[in-house]
Amino acid sequence: MLKKEKEIKAIFIFIAVLFFMFLALPVFFVLIRSFQTDSGAVGFAQYVKMFSSKGFMTALWHSFAVAGTSDLVTVILAFILAYTVNNTDIHPKLKSAISVLTVFPMLLPTITYGFAIIYSFGKEGLITKLLGFAPFEIYGFKGLVMGYVIYTLPIAFLLINNTFQYIDKRFVIVSRIMGDSKLDTFLIACVRPMIGTLSAAFIQSFFLSFTDYGIPAAIGGEFNVIATTLYNEMLGSVPNFSNGAVVAIVMLVPSALSILLLNYLERFNFRYNKTTETEFEKNIFRDIVLGTLSVIILICVLSVFLVIVIIPFVEMWPYKLQFSLSHIISLFTDSSMLNIYINSITAAVLTAIFGTLIAYGAALVTSRSKISNKCKQVIESIALVINAIPGMVLGIAFMFAFSGTPLRNSMFLIVMCNIIHFFSTPYLMMKNSLSKMNESWETTAMLMGDSWVKTIIRVVTPNAEYTILEVLSYYFVNTMVTISAIIFIVGAHTMVITTKIKELQHYAKFDDIFALSLLLLATNLAVKGIFALLSKRKKEN
Amino acid sequence: MLELKNLRKVYGKNEVLKDITLDVRDGEIVSVLGPSGCGKTTLLNTILGITDISGGQIIFDGEDISEKPMENRGFNIVFQDYALFPNLNAYKNITYGLRNNPDISTEKEVDELIDLLNLREHLSKNISELSGGQKQRVALARTLVVKPKLLLLDEPLSALDGVIKESIKERIKTIAREFNLITIIVTHDPEEALTLSDRVLILNKGTISQHSEPDEIIHAPKNKFVTDFILNQLIIKRDNIFNLFGMGECHA
Repeated sequence: MLKKEKEIKAIFIFIAVLFFMFLALPVFFVLIRSFQTDSGAVGFAQYVKMFSSKGFMTALWHSFAVAGTSDLVTVILAFILAYTVNNTDIHPKLKSAISVLTVFPMLLPTITYGFAIIYSFGKEGLITKLLGFAPFEIYGFKGLVMGYVIYTLPIAFLLINNTFQYIDKRFVIVSRIMGDSKLDTFLIACVRPMIGTLSAAFIQSFFLSFTDYGIPAAIGGEFNVIATTLYNEMLGSVPNFSNGAVVAIVMLVPSALSILLLNYLERFNFRYNKTTETEFEKNIFRDIVLGTLSVIILICVLSVFLVIVIIPFVEMWPYKLQFSLSHIISLFTDSSMLNIYINSITAAVLTAIFGTLIAYGAALVTSRSKISNKCKQVIESIALVINAIPGMVLGIAFMFAFSGTPLRNSMFLIVMCNIIHFFSTPYLMMKNSLSKMNESWETTAMLMGDSWVKTIIRVVTPNAEYTILEVLSYYFVNTMVTISAIIFIVGAHTMVITTKIKELQHYAKFDDIFALSLLLLATNLAVKGIFALLSKRKKEN
Repeated sequence: MLELKNLRKVYGKNEVLKDITLDVRDGEIVSVLGPSGCGKTTLLNTILGITDISGGQIIFDGEDISEKPMENRGFNIVFQDYALFPNLNAYKNITYGLRNNPDISTEKEVDELIDLLNLREHLSKNISELSGGQKQRVALARTLVVKPKLLLLDEPLSALDGVIKESIKERIKTIAREFNLITIIVTHDPEEALTLSDRVLILNKGTISQHSEPDEIIHAPKNKFVTDFILNQLIIKRDNIFNLFGMGECHA
């Protein structure tokens, strides 16, 4: 090569070292630890012990059962919502309302879902009071399923909705003209092309439910799942790190398998290059039924969050129901609360900035350079591996790797952990955007006297602005709502909102929990709003 | 003058260019013509300097530039898809090179170039608002502002339709004449190559099949490949057009 690409090589080395230090090495520590007993003996003793423990096996079975059940519900509901948005003639405004409101729960941490369910459907819950009776027993299986459905519905919906947009709707016309029955048409033109995505949605939802900590932390009660077992082994009243390491590895295996399967399934997805606008057959019955069904699903999901906007403004739920700003005021006057909020914002801003830079750098290496394919594969594998590592496992890995060092409990570690934990999606978004750009820009600009850095600043970056904004907002929102990884990293001075919520649970200070959740939600909405405005302005220019 | 001496390019076991020797005179337009996979894009890339060569020499004005990095050769290229920068308007694209070398062209020279390529009324437009022919002209202007010593054009006409094709052809000829610029054009279309250039280089499987003036290619094809690939296509085209005008099989 006459072009040396020194900058690209430097970026590649930086990223490789970073992920070695903060991903490979820490996870390796967990693996090592799982083969050591507390007395230092090496072998499978820990595994044998855990697998013959009745409590652990029950928790493991619970996890599979709950994740599997909620998964089935989620995918069916997500399919109905996406079908309504894509294949009916309901009012466009209702369609966009469904699309927006379905993903709304993503702006809140999962631990809040659990408490929201308790305050909605518990004995003194809002919905229980409105209905006059408790619709079901919330602690344990049913509550968890409900929480997981709320948690995974947005992601499943996004996946299915995306594929629906790419399915050629003329299939329906062809199938009808060929004389298929309505059921056949539905199966051939709609379900069949969706199979890849439906399985992907199924696996992705399973992975999320299986590894989530927030929901069982709030609502699991005596019903143990693998995530709560892991937490108790690491940070419970009688911690046992070796046991914890084994549980982490046991959690990692199904997660890794599910992501590998997901990656494998990707090949079976059809891709259509262009979307076609087709008119739908008039069918008022279909529109009314699906429209109503979707609205009902959304009301059920969103009603759970009603308490978040109500409880912080009530003097003392459920005993003194007068309107009161005291919780909100105390949030802003209590300096420790304010500090926690500042910590959350700091972590989110730093993660957004540096995470975006790293994802951008990685995407430049794989999609805008002639560096060897081996180097590109290293980055691709990093993105794939990260996707397969549950947040809790990453958190524990950080705990093992950095507990004796000055980095322990530092904001730096929290930011690093988030950057790594959420790396896959931003990287793929960036790569997708950069690889669509004209491949000759760098050559053209270099011939006109630009250095590589100048071209990136003057040409590539301005054309990637839209994606950069999306990635910034993705990192920000996810850092605000995450709990699973950082719960093992935060210290007294680096406490963030989600981990504080977990702590407040201990003192049963639910008013504060909801006030903090509301503050977090407001922040995320504001940030989303700002980024939406910026993107809109970019588009108009 | 550009001289290629025994130029070779090998990818693994695949010899893409075999022993290419030729020279191009100043102000000359040369078209590199051949079917896909014949090595014409590789030849273009080696001259430009994106691709390093496996053997032989590239000599420009007496200097061996085989090892010289692309950005120091002083050549320039217009890519098939123009590679215009969509975040900048037409004028900012045209003057992009001046940001790095403000003195390379005077304001007057840029103005003349804009008029020569008939771009005055499009200067403030976004790239997405330009037609194919306008984009092509903006890309040409952008390249000429930095005063290349040699101009490479990759399939400059393939994305354009009918009438615009002819007008761009004329512009390319004018530019080569006015700037006394070596212009090397890669194309797969015999009609384009033979009507646009002073000499045509026909490549087949990495070797030179014929390197002559258009007239000589038509009347003295050197081998079966030239007859089959080049001449037959033109004859079919010619006959179709004669038929359209009711002139039957008349051979002029």
